Amino acid sequence: MITLLKFSGQTFLLWAIYYFSTLVVKTFHIPLPGSVLGMIILFVLLASGVIKEQWLTTATTPLLKHLSFFFIPIAVELMEWGDLFLQKGYLLFLPLVVSLLVALITTGGIVQLLTTSSSKDEVN
Amino acid sequence: MNNPAMTTFTIILTVVLYIISRKIWLKTQNALLAPLLLSTTAIILIFHYSGITFEQYKPGKAIMTFLLGPATVGLALPLYLNRSILRKSFVPILLGIICGSIATLTTAVVLAKMSGLDSVIVASIATKSITAPIAIEVARIIGGDPAIAVAFVVFTGTLGSMIGAGFLSLCRITNPVARGLAMGVTAHGQGTATILHEGQTQGAMAGVAMALAAVFTSFIAPFYITWLLK
Repeated sequence: MITLLKFSGQTFLLWAIYYFSTLVVKTFHIPLPGSVLGMIILFVLLASGVIKEQWLTTATTPLLKHLSFFFIPIAVELMEWGDLFLQKGYLLFLPLVVSLLVALITTGGIVQLLTTSSSKDEVN
Repeated sequence: MNNPAMTTFTIILTVVLYIISRKIWLKTQNALLAPLLLSTTAIILIFHYSGITFEQYKPGKAIMTFLLGPATVGLALPLYLNRSILRKSFVPILLGIICGSIATLTTAVVLAKMSGLDSVIVASIATKSITAPIAIEVARIIGGDPAIAVAFVVFTGTLGSMIGAGFLSLCRITNPVARGLAMGVTAHGQGTATILHEGQTQGAMAGVAMALAAVFTSFIAPFYITWLLK
């Protein structure tokens, strides 16, 4: 019961930040997702000590653990696009696979190169 | 159009299928059986054969996704908890994430355009390497479709989890920090869960990379991606 109350209160805090940042983004026509602004605001609030991490973990732990649940209802809308995927799906394969490999090698390569040159003995 | 019985039914169906598919996934640990992939496929098949339309699913969808925004804001917490690693090698991490994000979305958009795909698809493909909650928002801003964005995000996450670590080893990328970041930038949440098996450093770096890549991409999206799409 106490956990449920805690969860609700903490979720309300997250919701309040989300609501505020969505409002700001809309009012000032900022081309940024409200949730991203909310993330930045929360990070700043945590870093400045206004909000303590313990005030949020009862809500964030289950919410983030089951984050993928929220995408089920969104992904179901793909049924409206079924034909398109059946007809042109094969065309998607190349861009998706090539860009995936490019991302791995770019990030991995750059970070390894930069961190290896600064501390050689650590890697070898 | 609002039918409370149908709405209740679709919500229960979604929750039950999620619980079942999560159990299957926890048992098998197979990336191809990720809960999102499995339950979405099951729901679409059930709707297809029982004649339920997406229009009837919409009220339930609105209720079920109500907490998505607050949950996304909560992503700041793991990032905050890992801030010490971030500070330790700030420049390599930032450069790796920025270059990786730009390289992957540019490749995806250019190749998709060359294949002559519809503009909605090309715009959605630009979001395929960002974590799903932010990908759907960015897709809306740049003229893509949230559902298609989720499909690309899941495809990328699944393939990245399956071949990512092997490909990095093939390219002789052995540094744990580099491996973690590469998986986070490329395959977001699914990649993070996979590379966590290699070690805490890899897992933490992947989580940091996932959050920062998403924030960075949403900042450049309205300018850079819109320009690429022209």
